[in-house]
Amino acid sequence: MDVLVLCAKTAVACLLIVAGGAKLADPASFASTVRLFIPLRIGWPLLSAIAVGVSLGEFAVGVASLTFPAIMALDVLVFAIACVFVAVSAIGYAFHRGRSCRCFGALSQRKFDAAGVLRGAVIAGIAAVALAHVNAAALQLDATARVLLFAAAALLAMTAFTAARARGAGSRREVVAQ
Amino acid sequence: MKVPLYLAVAQWTLLFAFGLLLIVVFRQLGRTLHKDDAVVPLGPEVGSKAASLEYSRFADDTVQYLAPGDGQPTLLAFVEPTCPSCEKLVLALGTAEHSGELSGLRVLLLTSSPKSYLKVSDAFRATRLECGRILAQATTQAYGATSTPLLVAIDRDGMVRAAAPAIELAEVRTFSRACSFPAAGGESIPITATAPQHETDLEAAAPAAGAD
Repeated sequence: MDVLVLCAKTAVACLLIVAGGAKLADPASFASTVRLFIPLRIGWPLLSAIAVGVSLGEFAVGVASLTFPAIMALDVLVFAIACVFVAVSAIGYAFHRGRSCRCFGALSQRKFDAAGVLRGAVIAGIAAVALAHVNAAALQLDATARVLLFAAAALLAMTAFTAARARGAGSRREVVAQ
Repeated sequence: MKVPLYLAVAQWTLLFAFGLLLIVVFRQLGRTLHKDDAVVPLGPEVGSKAASLEYSRFADDTVQYLAPGDGQPTLLAFVEPTCPSCEKLVLALGTAEHSGELSGLRVLLLTSSPKSYLKVSDAFRATRLECGRILAQATTQAYGATSTPLLVAIDRDGMVRAAAPAIELAEVRTFSRACSFPAAGGESIPITATAPQHETDLEAAAPAAGAD
C-alpha cells in the first residue's frame, strides 16, 4: 500500500514539474489559453506574467512535493491544484470546446474535450491517493537525498522545456480550432 | 545502507518521466528528419483557383457568400482573437488600410471563433475591417489554414496570388508587393495600391505556401 501511495505522490509531482517546464518554453501560447478564463480585458504583458507565474507555481509545488514528501500540507496543496485542473477542464469543455488547452505546452496537442475532463479527474484521483497515510520511516530523507531529488527535478523540468521547444519549434502561431 | 522506500519509488518515477520525454524528443527528431511536417502545407497552392466560402459577418450577423473571381481582388486574413500574433496582424492591416495601401482591395478577416471571442481582443473590437466567422470547416481545409495568422491574396480572376503567414506591418507590405503579377505588356501590376519600398524584401518568401 505504501508503494502505491508513494508512486501516486511522485507521479503527480513529476507531472507538475513537466507541465511547468513545458509551459515555460512558450508562455505566449499558454497566455492565450489563460486569456480564455479571464473575463476582464487585460493586456498581453500581464497575461504573459500570469502564464509564467502559473508555470513557475506548478514547477515550484512539484519540486517541493518531490523533495519534501513528509509535509502533508504539500499533498493537500497538490490535491487542490489537481481539483483546479478538473475545474478548468470542465469550464473549458463547457465554454471553449475544441480549443487547445496547452496543459503541457507544446508537448501535448490536447484540447478541451470530455476526455480532458476525465484526464483531470484521473489526476485528481491519483492526487487523492497520495493523501493517504504512509509509514513515516519510508519518507525520511537526508540532505543529500533532497539535493539529488532537487537536481533531478530541475533536470526533468529542463528536459521538458527542451522537448517542448523542439516540438513547438518556437512557433507562436495558433492552430485553428473548428 | 538501506535506501528509504520513498527514494526508491521517486527514482523509478523520475526514470519513467525522463523516458517519456525522451520518446517525445525522438519522435520530434524523426518527424523533422523525415519532413513529416511538410505533409500539411500552410495556405492554398499559389496559382490555384480560390474556393468560394460562406461566413457570418459580425457587423450585422448576416451570412455572406464570397465568390472569388467576381472582379474584385481580395485579401483574406485567417486570424483568431486569442492569438497574439493575429492581434498584431489585425492592427497592421488596419494601419495599411487607413493609409490607403490596400485601397481597391477587399480585406476580410476570417476566424473560426464565435463573435463573443472578439470581446477579449482590443484589436478585433476596434478594427474597421470586415470580420466574420467561417461557417464550414471545409473552407479552412480548402485554404490550408492549419494555423494562424495566414494571409491569402486572391486576384480579380479568383486565382490564389500568394499565401503566407504575416504578423508585422512590414510583412503585410512586402506580402502585398509579392501579390503583383505580370501584365500582358510585361509590366508588373500590383494587386493592391503601391506600397512603400523601404522594408526588407520578402517577396521570394511570401508565396511559399508550404512554409510552416
